[in-house]
Amino acid sequence: MSSSTDNGVVGTPTLPPQGVSTRVLGGIAEDATLSAPGVFLIVLAFILPIGQMLLLSIENAGGGLTSEHFTRFLGDSYYLGIVWRTLRLSLLITVIAAAIGFPLAYVMAHVGPRLRLWLIVLVILPLMTSVVVRTFGWMVLLGRGGLVPFTLWKLGFVNRNFTLMQTESAIVIGMVQVLLPFMTLSVLGVVMKIDRRLEEAARTMGASFLATLRTVVLPLAMPGIVAGSLLVFTLSVSSFITPSLLGGVRLPVVAGSIYEAATKTLEWNFAAAQSVILLIGVFLVLLPYLKLTGRRHG
Amino acid sequence: MSKIVATRRAVLNAGLGLTVALAASGVISPAAAREKLVINSYGGAYEQIHRKLVIEPFSKKYDVDVQVITAYSADALAQLRAQKAAPQFDVIHFSGGQEVVAAREGLIAPIKPDELTTAKELYPFAIEGLSRGEGPVHAVAAIGLLYNKEKAKKPEKWADLWNAEYKDHIVLTDLSNSYGLLGFLMINKVKGGDITKADPGFDAVKTLLDSAVVVATSPEMQQNFAQNDAWIAPYAQDYAYTLRKAGLPIEFVQGAEGTPAVYLTANLVANRPNQDLAKKFIDFSLSAEVQAGWAQELRYSPTNKATKLDETVSKEVIYGPDAVAGLVRFDPVAVDANRAALVERWKKLIAK
Repeated sequence: MSSSTDNGVVGTPTLPPQGVSTRVLGGIAEDATLSAPGVFLIVLAFILPIGQMLLLSIENAGGGLTSEHFTRFLGDSYYLGIVWRTLRLSLLITVIAAAIGFPLAYVMAHVGPRLRLWLIVLVILPLMTSVVVRTFGWMVLLGRGGLVPFTLWKLGFVNRNFTLMQTESAIVIGMVQVLLPFMTLSVLGVVMKIDRRLEEAARTMGASFLATLRTVVLPLAMPGIVAGSLLVFTLSVSSFITPSLLGGVRLPVVAGSIYEAATKTLEWNFAAAQSVILLIGVFLVLLPYLKLTGRRHG
Repeated sequence: MSKIVATRRAVLNAGLGLTVALAASGVISPAAAREKLVINSYGGAYEQIHRKLVIEPFSKKYDVDVQVITAYSADALAQLRAQKAAPQFDVIHFSGGQEVVAAREGLIAPIKPDELTTAKELYPFAIEGLSRGEGPVHAVAAIGLLYNKEKAKKPEKWADLWNAEYKDHIVLTDLSNSYGLLGFLMINKVKGGDITKADPGFDAVKTLLDSAVVVATSPEMQQNFAQNDAWIAPYAQDYAYTLRKAGLPIEFVQGAEGTPAVYLTANLVANRPNQDLAKKFIDFSLSAEVQAGWAQELRYSPTNKATKLDETVSKEVIYGPDAVAGLVRFDPVAVDANRAALVERWKKLIAK
C-alpha cells in the first residue's frame, strides 16, 4: 500500500518512515492527487465564476467596495415584492407538483412493469422538448380563445371568453407542467423500494387504504418527496423563461429581474447583488428542510 | 517558327517587367491583396436586405471584399471600445444613438460633407451629426400609432390614446425595447414633460395601465393584434408593414404632435487604413437607389431627398419634406444618461 502510494505521487518529499502516520499521510497525498483534476475543474467552472459574481456584487463604479447594490435591493419595496412573489409562487408550484407527483408515482409503482415503462416514457417525454417550446404551447392553450379559457367559458365557469395569459395562474400552470417530471421521478425511485408487504401488513391489521397511505407509504416515501420538492423549488425559484413568457413584464420574478439588469440596463453589479440575494434566500429556505430530513432519513 | 517563339518570349518578358514595375509603383496590387472592408449588420431579415441592397452591389461595383459581422448597436459599441487600440471594423452601423457616445470617445472619425457625393441630396437632419463627428443617417424607423382599421376609428394624434373608445384595447411596450422607450418619451413630451422631467409621462401611462396590455417584444405585439383584440399601440412604422404582411389589418399613423424615430447611422471607424473605401461604402448606402430599396423591402424611411418611391410605398413611410418636418429627435446623450433610471421607474409603475 505505502509503496504504491509513493509511486503514485510524483515529486512529493520522502514521507516519514514510520507505520500509521506514513499510511495516513500517503492516503491524503493519494486522495489529493486523484482528486486534483476534479478539484481543478470545480474551481475553474464553479468557484471562479461564483467568486467573480460575489466580487461584482460588492464593487462600486470606481472599483472600490460598497454595499449600495444590496441596500438598493433590500431597501426597496418593489424588489422585496418581487422576492415575495417568487417565493410564494415557487412554494405553491412545489406543493402542487408534490400533490400531483406523489399519487402519480404511487400508481406507477403499483402497475405492471410494461405499463410502468410506458408511464415513465410519458413522464420523461416532455423533457425531450425545450422549455421554451412547451411554454409556447401553454401560450396557445391559455391565450384568448385558447383551449383552457374557451372550455371554462363554454362550461359556464366564467362569463366571457377571457385570457389566462399574463396572470400568476398561468405561471403556476406552466411551471408545474415543466417541473412535474422531476418530482414524479424522485418520488417513484423511493416508492418502488418500499416493501409491498408493509402495506399488506397494515391492511391486514385493519387500516383502510387511505390510512395505510398516510401512516405507512407517505412517511417511507418522504425522502423522495423531499428530494423532489428541493429540486422543484430550486428550479422554479431560479427560472425566468416560463414566468416571463407566461406572466409578462408586469409580473416580474427575481430571475427575470436579474436578466433585465444584466442584459437590458447593463447594471452588472446590481445583477450580481440580486443573484447573491437569490442564492442566500434559497439556502435559507433549504437549510432547515435539509437538516430536518437529513437527520431522520439520511 | 523560332522567331515567333522569341517574339512571344519578348512580349511575355515585357509584360512581366511592366507588371513588376506597376506593382512596385503601387498602381496595381497583387490579386491576393484585394481590398477588404469589415462592417457590422443587425442580422435576420435586416441583414438579408442589407446584403442585397448595399453589400453585394458595392462589392461588385468596386471589386472589393466586404466582410459582415452581425452585431447589434450596443454590442458593436462594446466591441469598438474593446478594440480601441487596434480597431477591426471599417464601418459601424448604429440604431440606438450610440454614434454620439462613439464620437465623444473618439472611436469613430468625422466625415466632411464634401467627402460624400450624396451630401447635397440628404435632408439636413441626416447630416446634422457630421459636425459633431458622427456618421450620416442612412435610414429612419418612425414611431407613431399602429391601429386596427377594421375595429377602431383612425387616431389623429398621440393624445387620442386616452380616448375612451380604445379602452381595454391598448398595447404599450416595455422600456427595455427601444421602440417602447421612444414611444414613452413621446407620450411624456405630449403630456408636457421632457427627458429630465418624466412625471407627466409616467402619470399619463398610469391612467392607461388598467385597460392596457404591456408587452416587451415585437412578436408579442403581433400576438396581441392577432389574438387578443388589440386596437391601438404606439410602435414603429416598419413593424406595421410586417404585421400587414402577416395578413393583419394594421395601419400606421403619424401622431399630429410629432414623430419620434430610430435613426440608423453609418459611421467611419477611426484609425483604420482604408478610410477612403469606407467613405465610399457609406456614400453608397446613402444613395437614392439604396434608400428606395430599404423603403420598398422593410418600410424604413429614406433620408435622401432624391429617393423616388411609388405611391404605395411612399404612403407607408415618412416621405417628402412636409412629413420629414414632423420628425422629433430626443437628445441621445440625455437619453443614455437617464435610461437606467427611466427603466427602473417604469418597471415599478407597471408591476402588479
